[in-house]
Amino acid sequence: MTASVLNFVVRYSPLLILALGWELVSRLGLVSSDALPPLTAVGAAWIDMMHDGDFLSNGFAAFYHSDLVVNGAASLWRAGAGLSLAIVIGGALGILMARWRAVNIVFGPIVEIFYPVPKSALIPVTIIWLGLGDGSKILLIFLGCMIPVTIGAFNGARAAEQTLVWSARSMGADRVRTLWDVVVPSALPELLNGIRTALALAFILLVSSELITSQNGFGYLIGSLGDNGSYDAMYAVVLTVALLGFAADRLYQMLMRRMLIWRQ
Amino acid sequence: MATVELTTSAPPSAARALHGALRFGVRIASVVALLVAWELLARSGLLTPYQLPALSTVLARIWHDAVAGDLVLNTWVTIIRAMAGFAIAAVGGVALGVAISRLPLARWFFDPIVSIGFPMPKIAFLPVIILWLGVYNVSKLTMIVFDAIFPVIAATVIAIQGVERELIWSARNMGASERELLWQVMLPAALPQVMTGLQVALPLALIVAVFTEMKMGGYGLGAAMMTASRFANSVGVFAGIVEIAVVGYVLVKAMSVVRRRLLIWHQEAAEPA
Amino acid sequence: MAQIVVDGVRHLYRPPRGKPVLALEDVTLEVREREFLALLGPSGCGKSTLLYLIGGFLPVEGGSIAVDGKPVTAPGPDRGIVFQHFALFPWKTVRGNVLYGLERQGLPSAERQRRAQQFIDLVGLTGFEDSFPSHLSGGMKQRAAIARTLAFDPKILLMDEPFGALDAQTRHLMQSELLGIWQRTPKTVIFVTHDVQEAVYLADRVAVMSARPGRIKTIVDIRLDKADPNVFKAKAFVEKVDEIWGLVKEEAIKAQGARAS
Repeated sequence: MTASVLNFVVRYSPLLILALGWELVSRLGLVSSDALPPLTAVGAAWIDMMHDGDFLSNGFAAFYHSDLVVNGAASLWRAGAGLSLAIVIGGALGILMARWRAVNIVFGPIVEIFYPVPKSALIPVTIIWLGLGDGSKILLIFLGCMIPVTIGAFNGARAAEQTLVWSARSMGADRVRTLWDVVVPSALPELLNGIRTALALAFILLVSSELITSQNGFGYLIGSLGDNGSYDAMYAVVLTVALLGFAADRLYQMLMRRMLIWRQ
Repeated sequence: MATVELTTSAPPSAARALHGALRFGVRIASVVALLVAWELLARSGLLTPYQLPALSTVLARIWHDAVAGDLVLNTWVTIIRAMAGFAIAAVGGVALGVAISRLPLARWFFDPIVSIGFPMPKIAFLPVIILWLGVYNVSKLTMIVFDAIFPVIAATVIAIQGVERELIWSARNMGASERELLWQVMLPAALPQVMTGLQVALPLALIVAVFTEMKMGGYGLGAAMMTASRFANSVGVFAGIVEIAVVGYVLVKAMSVVRRRLLIWHQEAAEPA
Repeated sequence: MAQIVVDGVRHLYRPPRGKPVLALEDVTLEVREREFLALLGPSGCGKSTLLYLIGGFLPVEGGSIAVDGKPVTAPGPDRGIVFQHFALFPWKTVRGNVLYGLERQGLPSAERQRRAQQFIDLVGLTGFEDSFPSHLSGGMKQRAAIARTLAFDPKILLMDEPFGALDAQTRHLMQSELLGIWQRTPKTVIFVTHDVQEAVYLADRVAVMSARPGRIKTIVDIRLDKADPNVFKAKAFVEKVDEIWGLVKEEAIKAQGARAS
């Protein structure tokens, strides 16, 4: 038990060193404290943004009315909606493309063509279509995230072993049943990997679109704090978003391992 | 006298060329079909010309920009920007990857940084970079390198750590020094996987280049597209997408040609009997 | 004075996870110059490990290994190695691979090319000098690996189940070719295998190793007329094979038992 705790500390200690370095460099004035506010100041600003009024009088409302939470919720709602749609529709599309020739002929080239298109280039188009609000951002994330999910589902479903499919058929499963019982589980590893890519992409597209134009959300918050000169608060939000992206990936990896436990 | 076994040789070049041409033809056909569908949909009246300008209008606009406008300049700027960032990320990423896999101190220091940095939306740091480096090209380049270097580092580390022990031992057996071992054996052996990492980094560099132009202005396809967007110029926006898509496609294609050339010994590794 | 002296060597195998395992215990062995010694034993007995220790790829922790009176500390071109899975540099052609050791030795260019071609011809790969390994069959790859190692003229040849990855027919062909090559350019050879017939056919002496932790169980002299085309069916041959197989079988059963427990 103590061995693994010690292990954890040693492994992540470079981050601690960097944090200390940050604090020192800033406090010693080696870099202007505008450009690099001390880490402690950033932390204080973070706490400040996490509550609106104080907990004693407002209770939990102090928490969920706070700047960070309100904007964070707006951002995460967008990303969540876009990503969920991408997973469901993209996953289904990829699997259907792998098993039915007709679907592949129609959608294959579309996916291939959009694969190398820089997804951030779609930001102005979604604005043209759905304006500056939630809708355009959700559409952007949906379109961008669909590509890796579809490709992952496609490759995974393609790799489903013929012998497994034939075994199922010979045991009485029809085409649709086989799809659900054999193809989907076989496709799972690649599909889950595709979703992992999409997860990271969702965060990227979310922040990108909000940095360009938004009325709320993390990106908006970063932009307006920067414009105001509240750099310590700006850093706080930047770090929050970055760490959220990291945490989401880690949690997802744990989930993936659970789902693929039969693979070990 | 020993008999020499005949190996099954690769298919004769003529058959291979025909096969390749056929697949290319199918690809072209589907692209054409898509473009035709676009034009028909635009003309059908289901969507307004604002929501979906006709392909012909967009192409005309692109032509106009190429001949009389800034298209060539902007395209050039974006490509150079993306390639410069990619090059720095490639060299730096491989160097760091080699250091991390060979030097325990480097591995200890960089491992958490890379492991946390990889899934982070690094684009969130753009305002920080602008704060430090101003609103000029340096900031854009820095953002590109910051984003593109991670997949290169990750691929290099995996590749170097995965070099077969017996290749290293054979080289040592033949008297190779540590330096020779690194340059003559480990890096070539790692090349396929490193190339894969580079193939991820290149489109990433382009995406970030375009985005930084959108956010920060200046020259480049992203900036032009954002300007069009601000003026509600939907033809301009669609033209931008087509231009960027073409650039993206060309770069990715060029990369895979380079890969095939460099890895000719690897790609053809279809195991004969 | 024997060329290779292995004295009381022990070796611990340290897996990335789990406890260390004693792979070799008190191995003592002498190899004479120019003799062909086969190392035989059940799976897991450490025969390859012993070979890697002699080759200098693994550090000697207990006991000592000396070649020509000097202790072994690192790999070097005096002890050439041939691996089971060829270990050819896939990005180099056959010629490029064979040239590699010669380049490391700093020979002049014309000399390098001449030697490389000589050994490529010797192993029967004339015409395939510019092919990449991925285009070659298993047997051809192994010939290339052997040519590469022979080219830099090591005094000692360490062979780690070199024909193990080949099909039975190719294996037989390669065995007689190896014998032919060895008779023409005599070197000290230590040949690891689990195939008793192969060991008896090729070797002057066969060292049978015990189950893990490995030690030398017995050394058997082989005095047979290898030139006889029907040597595999000769009575003396068959008797030798039986004798040695009996020894190996004892150890193989012990190894199985240890694994099952």
